[in-house]
Amino acid sequence: MTKDILLNIEGLSLDFRTNRGRVKALRDISFPVQKGRILGIVGESGSGKSTVLWSILGLLAGNAEVTAGRVDYGARDLLTLDAQALRAIRGEEISVVFQDPMTSQIPVLPYARQMSDILYRRSMSEADKRKAAIDMLRRVGIPDPDSRIDAYPHQFSGGMRQRAGIAMSMLTGPNLLLADEPTTALDVTMEAQMIGLMRGLRDDFDTTIVVVSHNLGLIAEMCDDVVVMYAGEVVETGEVHEIFHNARHPYTRALLECDPARIAEVSRKLPVIPGDIPDLTRPLPGCIFADRCQKAMPDCAKVAPPMVARGGGMARCHLLEGPLADASWPPPADVVTVGRDLGGLAPVKARSDAPPLLEVHDLNVRFRTMGPLKARLNGVSDPFVDAVLDVSLDVKPGETLALVGESGSGKTTLGRTILNLQGASGGTVRFDGRDIAGMAEGQFKPLRRDMTMMFQDPVGSLSPRKSVRALITEPLVIHGAQGRDLDTEAERLADMVRLPRSFLSRYPHELSGGQARRVGVARALALNPRLIVADEPTAGLDVSVQGEILNLMADLQAEHGLSYLIITHNLPVVRHIADRIAIMYLGRIVEDGPAAKVFARPAHPYTRALVEGVPQPDPDRRRPPTAVIEGEVPSLLRRPKGCDFAARCPLAQDACHAAKPRHTHIAPDHRHACLFPLRTPSDLTETA
Amino acid sequence: MFTYLLKRLGLAALVVVAVLLLLFSMLHMIPGNPAILALGTRASPEAIAEYSARMHLDKPVLTQFVYFLGNAVQGDLGQDVFSNRAVTSVIGERIGFSLALICTGMGWAVLLGVPLGCLAAVRPGSWLDRVTGVFSVGMIAVPSFLVSIWALLFFSLELHWLPAIGAGEPGDLADQLSHLVLPAFAIGLGWVGYLARMVRASMLEVMGEPYIRSARAYGLQPRRVVLGYALRVAILPTITLIGMGFGGLISSAVFAEIIFSRPGVGKMIFDAVSDRNFPIVQGGVLVATGFYILVVLLSDLLIAWLDPRVRSSL
Ligand SMILES: Nc1ncnc2c1ncn2[C@@H]1O[C@H](COP(=O)(O)OP(=O)(O)OP(=O)(O)O)[C@@H](O)[C@H]1O
Ligand code: SF4
Ligand code: SF4
Ligand SMILES: [Mg+2]
Repeated sequence: MTKDILLNIEGLSLDFRTNRGRVKALRDISFPVQKGRILGIVGESGSGKSTVLWSILGLLAGNAEVTAGRVDYGARDLLTLDAQALRAIRGEEISVVFQDPMTSQIPVLPYARQMSDILYRRSMSEADKRKAAIDMLRRVGIPDPDSRIDAYPHQFSGGMRQRAGIAMSMLTGPNLLLADEPTTALDVTMEAQMIGLMRGLRDDFDTTIVVVSHNLGLIAEMCDDVVVMYAGEVVETGEVHEIFHNARHPYTRALLECDPARIAEVSRKLPVIPGDIPDLTRPLPGCIFADRCQKAMPDCAKVAPPMVARGGGMARCHLLEGPLADASWPPPADVVTVGRDLGGLAPVKARSDAPPLLEVHDLNVRFRTMGPLKARLNGVSDPFVDAVLDVSLDVKPGETLALVGESGSGKTTLGRTILNLQGASGGTVRFDGRDIAGMAEGQFKPLRRDMTMMFQDPVGSLSPRKSVRALITEPLVIHGAQGRDLDTEAERLADMVRLPRSFLSRYPHELSGGQARRVGVARALALNPRLIVADEPTAGLDVSVQGEILNLMADLQAEHGLSYLIITHNLPVVRHIADRIAIMYLGRIVEDGPAAKVFARPAHPYTRALVEGVPQPDPDRRRPPTAVIEGEVPSLLRRPKGCDFAARCPLAQDACHAAKPRHTHIAPDHRHACLFPLRTPSDLTETA
Repeated sequence: MFTYLLKRLGLAALVVVAVLLLLFSMLHMIPGNPAILALGTRASPEAIAEYSARMHLDKPVLTQFVYFLGNAVQGDLGQDVFSNRAVTSVIGERIGFSLALICTGMGWAVLLGVPLGCLAAVRPGSWLDRVTGVFSVGMIAVPSFLVSIWALLFFSLELHWLPAIGAGEPGDLADQLSHLVLPAFAIGLGWVGYLARMVRASMLEVMGEPYIRSARAYGLQPRRVVLGYALRVAILPTITLIGMGFGGLISSAVFAEIIFSRPGVGKMIFDAVSDRNFPIVQGGVLVATGFYILVVLLSDLLIAWLDPRVRSSL
């Protein structure tokens, strides 16, 4: 079957000139983009996905240099077009959806202006342009577009902003839409909505889409074809089912096997791809994956692997063809090919009869929203928001509790309040039996040894001018651990987090994302704490690095009986690592219970929306668009009187709008706050 | 927005009162009888008594300040010691010359500096960028009174292109303008360099923002991207800088007025200081402070108008 090819990338190679030398960021990239289909480019950070996308539009950084190849669009090679011809194509024929709608939309112009500017090439009246823009905003699901079109980006929520971004790129009816990580900045339920929206637009406007993502779920759910990139090369291409069910390249296999969402049975230890992406200033002459490949043979590093075609796709590996071919490769899908480090101690079972280490009871945190003068003038009688509302939870010794919720649900505030970094306005926090809420810092300081925080942004929270040695011993210095040899301590901690000792003299900017997290873990461990509050411990990490960090945390827990309070929105990960889960929505816990139960039989409709909101890395398990929950998390300023979830809840009834549902136990260890909970698994299918 | 304005005006009033207090105490901190200070040692006892009564110098200090404040609020800044004319009308006569000078000085600096900075930022490393860079540093480094003196020596005394002193014949606009050129040139020159550098830095930063890449990815023309998008954001910090810069400009204007013998407020204050004509000094400094506060307030309002994020946070 021959399909129309809209765009064809042929032998594209590209270098970045840097003071470390030439970074060979793309090497011999070739793949076609078929008309009317959605192509996904997937790969770890630094594999060159974005660079491919930007080279299509000719919008590369100034130090980029294309050394070979062509990008054919119709009869033209985009790489040879002059600036004016390229400009005529940008926005009109090829348009872009950006990763972070917060930074990619100019803050000082209203959408009306930004959108009519995009239509500048059209000989339409301003009124017609406005009408076209309003129609497109309505199509992407912006409510009340006639007036909202005059809003500025900061007046929109994250989800609305990304919708507006999609509207801007679709305004001209482009043939080709490029999307770079279009949902990475969004929450789970928003991401699901965006995937549905983009598929719908493809069907309505017959647009071809190229989407870049490191999220395998998104790729499986959305794409028809997949390109797998590794370290600047295309290692495998193919139709989405072929890639997800029948991958042929060891790297593709490894990537799929490392995704926690694909691992059926719950396991504390996650598979990882050992090693790091190679140095692109001096790429290997043979297979680029050789130093991390489980199947690597001596010749792999020396001889370039053959390109083996199958269907419309191809894979580059010696196992598939030639003298090194291995007939038993690829093994059946259920065989694990990557290293699965199951060593370490067996996970300790948290003793359910032990008294809780941390007990939070009816905790409230209020923030003032405006000054008293302004509130009086504006007639606001209650200028406060409840960031945390009546939260109760406890963590037993050796237990992992995951606090799950979307942005703005108050997770981080709760974590900070527990650690006394933020004042509470009501309720109690007990640690080891002592009431610690609102303790003076001087009194609390000794407790900081027992409970510490691991911060969300590891590099940002590490002082750039301190060496790793200084960083990981800093808590010891602050807490005056006299008489201890700091160098020995530093080495002990580095060993604990499996950071090579030679790294102790490095500085934060010389660390990879995973290594920086390790330093964060080492700092948290320095004082031998009993409780660690980890805020998004793996956000922004590639799956395999994420696995390394989670494995490390599991080992440390088994060894030292640590308790974890993990704050995250990553549900697939939570399923593997958490003993218990608490789901937060708008500052309230709407459901909590043992992880297995909550996943298998969610009682609260919001829990179900979250569990189902995660796109499955399996193209056969795509959700119908109707399964996706509508709307967004409301602003704290507009907290509904009744159930906070009522406006979005598919099961909402009149009673839900009247008062906040109280917490109800369905089992001694499983609570929810819903008037009409989902009771049996059959409820799920009935309403889905 | 309304609360914001209220707050800002309240703050401005506070600053003005503080300045008044300072001016008032200045008079009282100078040792000796203020009346003698004002009228000179050879003034007759009657004149001193009359002056003291008129200026309420016989009352307690606090009462004096209340009088002073009350008068100032009613627009009465006292009388010129020599001519007995109201200070306000003396200032009224001269303020036009100062405003014209300051506004022209800043005006041409903005008109030249901002585009230069823009051009330099659009082509970093080009000859224009380098020339602008070198000149900017030079222009900033030379103090404005030196520029005034050189300009006077060169353009009027040496080349006879422009008049040297005074403000021109009243009523003759062309003559007045020709008298404005040199002092305005002198006080604005440093600002050309300053603004060019500021706009360049701010533009370079904005040009690297993702939303500029978005605009280019949508295919907008380069001119639109630079002027309609990048400059629209980059100009915001520059506006604050210009607002604050008026403070420095006022003192440059004093020097320029002295050097070019322009009958403005600056020259007036200078003369009054040497004559110990304190009501005039007080009035002049007060007007200058008020002007500065007004400009800063206006620049903040302008930013609020141009930046919707600021607007909605007010
Ligand atoms: N302007 C630049 N100068 C030098 N090197 C660059 C530049 N831009 C990208 N690179 C390098 O090129 C390689 C590919 O980068 P690219 O951003 O395309 O990766 P990516 O797959 O999009 O990664 P991510 O998932 O983190 O977005 C990386 O090694 C990166 O460090
Ligand atoms: S060529 Fe060798 S090293 Fe490369 S992926 Fe295949 S088996 Fe692994
Ligand atoms: S209380 Fe009502 S609105 Fe709230 S989650 Fe339950 S069913 Fe939905
Ligand atoms: Mg990228």
